[in-house]
Amino acid sequence: MDRFKLRKAEPKDVPDILRLIKELAKYEDMEDQVILTEKDLLEDGFGDHPFYHCLVAEDPSEERNNNNGPVVIGFAMYYFTYDPWIGKLLYLEDFFVMKEYRGFGIGSEILKLLSHTAVKSRCSSMHFIVAEGNQASIEFYKRRGAADLSLEEGWRLFKIDKSSLLKMSSGPEE
Amino acid sequence: MNFKVRAARKEDCKEISRMIMELAVYEKMADQVKTSHEELERDGFSPNPFYECLIAEVPDEHKTKDGYTVVGYALYFYTYSTWKGRSVYMEDLYVMPDFRGKGIGKGLMAKVAQVGVEKQCVRLQLSVLEWNKPSLDFYIAKGAEDLTAKEGWHFLRFDGQTLDTLAKEAPKD
Repeated sequence: MDRFKLRKAEPKDVPDILRLIKELAKYEDMEDQVILTEKDLLEDGFGDHPFYHCLVAEDPSEERNNNNGPVVIGFAMYYFTYDPWIGKLLYLEDFFVMKEYRGFGIGSEILKLLSHTAVKSRCSSMHFIVAEGNQASIEFYKRRGAADLSLEEGWRLFKIDKSSLLKMSSGPEE
Repeated sequence: MNFKVRAARKEDCKEISRMIMELAVYEKMADQVKTSHEELERDGFSPNPFYECLIAEVPDEHKTKDGYTVVGYALYFYTYSTWKGRSVYMEDLYVMPDFRGKGIGKGLMAKVAQVGVEKQCVRLQLSVLEWNKPSLDFYIAKGAEDLTAKEGWHFLRFDGQTLDTLAKEAPKD
């Protein structure tokens, strides 16, 4: 783990972040669903009111650089949300380490740094979602103390797509 | 019934706090409410707010027996999908029991949808407890899809001791 470095993402990391987003989507069998572009990521993450924050894991070793391979080998994207009962929360949106870099403790270190960020920012809790088919990830989180709220409390996640949103928002004024 | 949906102001936080407690009681989790109206004021009305809120108001002649004219709220914030970009997440939607069935909930939600569309959000997300049939029906009628059922998503959480334990082991700056 000493070989690797964790740091805050910078605008120059955007191409690598998008590359890793696509790799993670591929791992979840949903690669064709990524419609985000580098321009979106830049505007939405590094403007005046960022919609997200990002940490990246780097492999700065000589070998990697000489091969012209990517230096960024993992990332975590998060943002702050709000629970009216307990206040600020940290929401972990995406978390990914390239396959060949797993098993070195990088994922663990990223999670610890995120937890530290959460506590430092006065967040009571860190939330995220996992697909129930993703046993490896579920085990990873549960080993570290995560509670499955869908199982324990019965929460179900819903979405309403743009076309339905447009329908709703253009309805007659009450 | 005549009602108005508008953006909450700092001074509405006492009313919002009252209704948050009412909603928690309905969800059978009243003992879990730890925020006060002061925290809501600090977190929603600073230069970098952590949430936005809309409230529904009725005219004086329809006020509640306790004298309230604020009868509903929707609390939401912006999230980000690495696949699709900006999203809006509706955390709470609540209308006082005596004011239901009059289109107020729909009005609040439509306004959240409108705000989301204006901010170029691609979707709205929310969570519902699986036993809450009236709410499930309400959202499904408006086009909501249950992603837990359809795609198997589960909500996980690290909090309290587990969060602190992880945080203590973080790499030093």
